[in-house]
Amino acid sequence: MKKILIVDDEQDIVESLQFVLETTGFECHCAYNGEDGLNLAREIMPDLIILDVMMPKINGFKICRLLKYDTKYKNIPILMLTARSQEEDKLIGEETGADEYITKPFEIADIVKKVESYLGEKAEG
Amino acid sequence: MASYKILFVSTNTEKAKQIEEIIEEMHQERLNDYDFSFADSELLASDIMKTQLPDIVILDSAANNLDLISINRTVKTYDNVITILLVEKDKIAKPELLKNSNSFIQEPILKEILISTIEANLRTKKSLVKLADSNQELARSLYQLNVLYSTSSKFAGTLDREKLMDALIEGIDKSLSFGLSCLLTFKSETEPVLIINSLYKIPDRLLEGLKVRATISYKNLFKNREMPFELDIQNIKIEKHIKNERKEYDFSVLRADTLFAPISTSENCVGFIEIFREEKFSTEDTTCFHTLAQQVSLPLKSANLYEIKERTNKKLEKLERTKSEFISIVSHELRTPLTAIKLSMDILSSGTAGPLTEAMETSLNRGKRNVTRLTGIINDLLDLSKIEAGKMDFKFESSKISPIVEYVKNNLEGMAKEKNIEFITTLDDNFADVYIDSSRVEQILTNLVSNAIKFTTENGKIEIRSQVVDAKEINLVEKFSETLACLHGKYLQVMVKDNGIGISEENLTHVFDKFAQIENSLTRKVGGSGLGLPIAKQLIESHNGTIWCNSKLEKGSSFYFVIPLLDSYSKFLIDLKQNLQKAKVGNSTLALVKIRTSEEILDEIKTQILTEKHLENSAYEVQDDFCTLSLAIPEGDKYSADFLKKRIQDFANSNKTLCEKYDIMFSYGVYPRDALDDIDLIKKVNKSFQTIKITNEIS
Repeated sequence: MKKILIVDDEQDIVESLQFVLETTGFECHCAYNGEDGLNLAREIMPDLIILDVMMPKINGFKICRLLKYDTKYKNIPILMLTARSQEEDKLIGEETGADEYITKPFEIADIVKKVESYLGEKAEG
Repeated sequence: MASYKILFVSTNTEKAKQIEEIIEEMHQERLNDYDFSFADSELLASDIMKTQLPDIVILDSAANNLDLISINRTVKTYDNVITILLVEKDKIAKPELLKNSNSFIQEPILKEILISTIEANLRTKKSLVKLADSNQELARSLYQLNVLYSTSSKFAGTLDREKLMDALIEGIDKSLSFGLSCLLTFKSETEPVLIINSLYKIPDRLLEGLKVRATISYKNLFKNREMPFELDIQNIKIEKHIKNERKEYDFSVLRADTLFAPISTSENCVGFIEIFREEKFSTEDTTCFHTLAQQVSLPLKSANLYEIKERTNKKLEKLERTKSEFISIVSHELRTPLTAIKLSMDILSSGTAGPLTEAMETSLNRGKRNVTRLTGIINDLLDLSKIEAGKMDFKFESSKISPIVEYVKNNLEGMAKEKNIEFITTLDDNFADVYIDSSRVEQILTNLVSNAIKFTTENGKIEIRSQVVDAKEINLVEKFSETLACLHGKYLQVMVKDNGIGISEENLTHVFDKFAQIENSLTRKVGGSGLGLPIAKQLIESHNGTIWCNSKLEKGSSFYFVIPLLDSYSKFLIDLKQNLQKAKVGNSTLALVKIRTSEEILDEIKTQILTEKHLENSAYEVQDDFCTLSLAIPEGDKYSADFLKKRIQDFANSNKTLCEKYDIMFSYGVYPRDALDDIDLIKKVNKSFQTIKITNEIS
């Protein structure tokens, strides 16, 4: 079963995503702040990460950069969740290497479709 | 009656007696008072000079045992003392003595000659003294004038109230050198300041006295009128500048001569200045003082206005920033819970959490529709706050409208079908190119078309039409004639026409106002943020286009927008606008440079002087045999406008044969020094063309 790591400080969002993705047939791991998310990513080596931008301790862009510049993790697809706030706009100028940006609020079907396309491709390739 | 002193230097007492008698007679005949003294030694002579300062010294050249030359030298160290040399009969006096005397008489001493010589010399002396006096006066006036001039240029050069006051005190001190000056002014309505400039220290008691005096003087200025600012002695702040701390003034300084002048802007008296000086003030001094005090009034008024303007600007800026930040934060904070709501609803309606009844599904759909609507409102708010803060990023490129029309039509066809609305598109623009940000134009069109769908009843009809129009052919709608008047040249026009409920005449011009919809209860039923049209208007204006509409109640509405057709100039204008926006947000400068001449020379200039980067940011126009090249130069470019002008000048000088045939005109303006927006900047630059002259120096 493919492993997905969900990192967001909003528990409601994490749990909803977890429910949907688990019913679709993925194994989900969750973290509720940046630091835990980064540690968990290194520990479990997920097949895909869904990552919120604005989080306490370490923001999503930073985590994304840390993983993408590490040869060990750089191939993990990362979907970033953004609320398009001004603070995010300031950060977004920097190259993060994220594979996809998804603006909140999003369609759950979109997320599932995207996750499947990344993981499907990977399984085939 | 004047009094004159005459000194006779000789060793001959006989002669002295004779002269004394003549002078005694003179004294009686004339009304003037003559006082005679006699010196028979160098010591006595110099002593009399020192103590009595005679007007006339008569030197007896026969006094051989006296050093007359050195005595005369001593005499001449005093200003305007006249020497008369008494020369022995048939003898020639020493040339040095003769040369340094004002006149001479020969022995024997004749009464008439002596008297007339003395009187003539006294007259000369009188005029000499007068001349010296008026010279001094002239020098003083000149100096005061100089101070006046330099002070008024200082006044003109500043908009800072404190600097103005400093310049005033400095100017008055320079021209009148006062001992003590007190200037009362107001930092704000409730902040009176007494600025004291003093030669010597001011003891505390005197300081209290000055405060009381200032309060009384100020109140006296408004005897029967209302004071613009209330003055309470407790609130007066003191600013002291002391030149010499070793000495101290006492109350006697207030008995010195004094000058007083109110300080006023043209409307209000806002303080006064009073100065004290031991030496009496002359009429000229008084005039100078009042002139200086008056001269400060106009700059003071400007300074006050400037201060108010600055304060308001800062407040507005802060307000604007707070507003943008507020909108951004709120939008962000709304998004997160909205996401959670939407997710939960999606899960429910997907059925993964359990089967749904039809009623549950209807209810869920209603919820989902409103989440979508709320998302739209948040997006609109964010867009608007971005546009207003100048932070909207545009990606302009040359493209065509028709694919966008097709895309929007396909996107919204479903929504139209629900109401059984007929959709007609007519693309008559011959695939004309425009310089646009496609995603933004798509946003505008989506907005117009979805509005049309919302406001059209079932079985209605919506028509989208694109065509190329000339500014002259554009159908003027009276309510929008002002915006349309700015258009010239060829445009691509898009029309979205519906046969829906229409807009009443009085609401027609307000449809592009922010939140205009909110007043209308009917539209609340239809939904939307009320920001779609204001956003569309702002977006279109960023494309240098215009949006307007025409409508009749119950008949339907037509919305039109035009975007300039792509050419080098329209592209340049949009880029200029964008560059200027960046300069505004980043607080930097932008120079607009225009070079205008015949094509041949412009080509040479382009290849020899300009860099590729310049040409990227440039536009090329041909008008009345003139070719004009416009360049935008952002701050930090080493090719500043001045530098560029110098390069062109050098080019003209070294290519005389080519350049002599044609004029090279050069012009530039800098934001924000010369203009506040792009139209202003273009106007300024178009006005200030200067011919670049070829210098005839042989190099």
